[in-house]
Amino acid sequence: MTNPRLLERKPETLGLSVMLILSAGAVALGAGWVSGPLAIGLLVVMFASVVTIVWVALMGGLETRRALAPYGLLKPGILWLCLFFLAPLWSMLHMSLSTKKSRFDFYPTFSWHFENYVTAVTDFGPQFMRSFLYAAIATVLTMLIGYPLAYVIAFRGGKYKAVLLGLVAVPFFTSYLIRTLAWQNLLSDEGPIVGIINRVHAEQLFELLHIMDNGRLMNTPAAVIGGLTYNFLPFMILPIFVSLEKIDVRLVDAAMDLYSTASGAFRKVIFPLSLPGLFAGSLLVFIPAAGDFVNAQFLGSPNTTMIGNSIQNQFLQQNNYPVASAMSFVLMAIITASVLVYAKFMGTEELM
Amino acid sequence: MGNTNNNPRGPRYSRREFLIRSGLVGAGALSLPALLAACGGGSSGGSSSAGDKTLFFENWPGYMDEETVQLFQAATGISMKYTEAFNDNNEYFAKVQPMLAQGKKIAPDILAPTFWMADRFIQLGWAQKLDKNAIPNAKNLRDDLVAPSWDSKNEYQMPYQTGIAGIAYNKKSTGRELKSVEDLFDPAFKGKIGMLTEMRDTVGLTLMGMGKKLSDVKTFNDAADAFDKIEKAKNDGQIRAFTGNDYMDDLNTGNFAACVAWSGDVLQIAKDNPDVHFIVPEEGGTNWYDTMLWVAGSENRDSVSAWMNYIYDPVNAARITASVQYLSPVKGVQDELVKMGGEAAQLAENPLMFPDAATLSRLQGWGTLPEAEEAKFDERFAAITGA
Repeated sequence: MTNPRLLERKPETLGLSVMLILSAGAVALGAGWVSGPLAIGLLVVMFASVVTIVWVALMGGLETRRALAPYGLLKPGILWLCLFFLAPLWSMLHMSLSTKKSRFDFYPTFSWHFENYVTAVTDFGPQFMRSFLYAAIATVLTMLIGYPLAYVIAFRGGKYKAVLLGLVAVPFFTSYLIRTLAWQNLLSDEGPIVGIINRVHAEQLFELLHIMDNGRLMNTPAAVIGGLTYNFLPFMILPIFVSLEKIDVRLVDAAMDLYSTASGAFRKVIFPLSLPGLFAGSLLVFIPAAGDFVNAQFLGSPNTTMIGNSIQNQFLQQNNYPVASAMSFVLMAIITASVLVYAKFMGTEELM
Repeated sequence: MGNTNNNPRGPRYSRREFLIRSGLVGAGALSLPALLAACGGGSSGGSSSAGDKTLFFENWPGYMDEETVQLFQAATGISMKYTEAFNDNNEYFAKVQPMLAQGKKIAPDILAPTFWMADRFIQLGWAQKLDKNAIPNAKNLRDDLVAPSWDSKNEYQMPYQTGIAGIAYNKKSTGRELKSVEDLFDPAFKGKIGMLTEMRDTVGLTLMGMGKKLSDVKTFNDAADAFDKIEKAKNDGQIRAFTGNDYMDDLNTGNFAACVAWSGDVLQIAKDNPDVHFIVPEEGGTNWYDTMLWVAGSENRDSVSAWMNYIYDPVNAARITASVQYLSPVKGVQDELVKMGGEAAQLAENPLMFPDAATLSRLQGWGTLPEAEEAKFDERFAAITGA
């Protein structure tokens, strides 16, 4: 056993090394690098390192405990990430470079098969483009709808503020899928919305705007984008509300005192201060919307499939795990790159 | 317990189940293949290996009457679980593959893959030989279904129901009667046409519409024109959706003016919705059958045999037929239906359930495609439907 007094001198080193042991162990176990007796051995080592650090902390003085505390607090999160993010990510990377020996081969062999990435990009280019287009439109729409709503709740909500916020969150009590299915009923050809449009004879206008197609709303790009907008709207409203709510309304009075107009005060004071919320909201909407497959599946047509549907189809219908994994990686890479560019452009790096 | 469901609103339930499943599975698809292995068992809720007095049959929606499961349990003392998890053959295959490929047991004892998928299960070693001595009623199997080329000794499967893939239409949406496969490609129905993800039915009908015979299709090139035609229709926005068994709702509400459909499903809907019709197009329809397969790993041999024997008794088979309105693979069902009287007796004269010579002459079946060719068919079809 190591001498605690020796370790006490360098508690940071101990904290860091235990964390590294645990992280590496979690990834190795999760990704299946070790198995059998070796895995048990690794678990014993991981357990022993935890025991050591706890023992050192208990034996050591206040100073030691203070130095070790941050590592202790970090550990659950780091372990979680290693086990449920890094390990699967590694498995997927491994899979994306594998080949299937036969059509029903359930265990593709690793072979540095970079062609999977070529297939992912060339065969599914339109789906990638479509996903980012739909997600971008949905993000802009949620901003246009969500910002005024958040503004009213934050500044004009008064004693109803909590109730109004609660109403924004109420849809979450129902399953995402059920809500999307409800849209199927609302938008169906014999449904109420098409009925109203026909009664006021607005169908020409809707056809012109490319919202309707041959007299139907369901199974059109508009329906998919509408579904995305509806389903992700709360993720835009809540962050914008949080950043608006922090703003001192007296700033507007101050601006007015300095001969600003009401709209000038909004443009130069309120809006810039709410940008972090808008930025956070747009990420919360854009990223899941780009990978969404539910809306395209239930509100779309064969011509509106998004990349999420294609990945699902490759994984679960075609059993083509290697290409599906490569597609997931390409999707992840594009999203990461575009978010970094966006963060740079928005000048809100402190959020990252 | 028996979760039987034969009314046309049944699919609504089954679709919801499908949704929940695809949600779960989707979560997996987004994150990691390792998760797939975990949720691959699908409806593996509570594996029931308590001796041989239990049975779990996983079947397609709208495919069983309300009584038979109860009557079977009362008659044999076997506790039976019945679910409707099949929506599409390929989808079901992908769902059970992670378990069966590792040689692990899945919860159901009997599965209902369509004939070509049953062939694949047998080739992969995922089916067990039936105990034919314990199924004396197997002698009632229709002669044309005995010993197909891929199960030449008839030892792995018993057909469950046979059916016709043809065209269903909702007259309220079409405004006219349909007769031909070409009606599916009529621009007047743009965006209101449904097609099945079941490749052999969708492509089969299209091929027949182009004047080809399915028996002549030996390689992918023989069918390439039909794929091009379907792809063009998709790109033109003619096709609203490619669906599995969940097309019934859209047909019922009129979202689909017309779709490729399975005979019995549509006859069930038509009972309550007089606008819905099923036709065997003048160019022809496909015939197919779904099997009952004893899945590898299941230990309930006696229950499986008892069940198959039970529903191959013409009296029990007729009760199922009266409800599901498909073509029974059991001899003597027509006579039993007449004996039942009333509505059932009328069904005995329905040419879509007991096809006359004229209808029979229009039906064509797919032969077995060589493995390499089938792969090309599947790949091309997936690129059209899934992409």
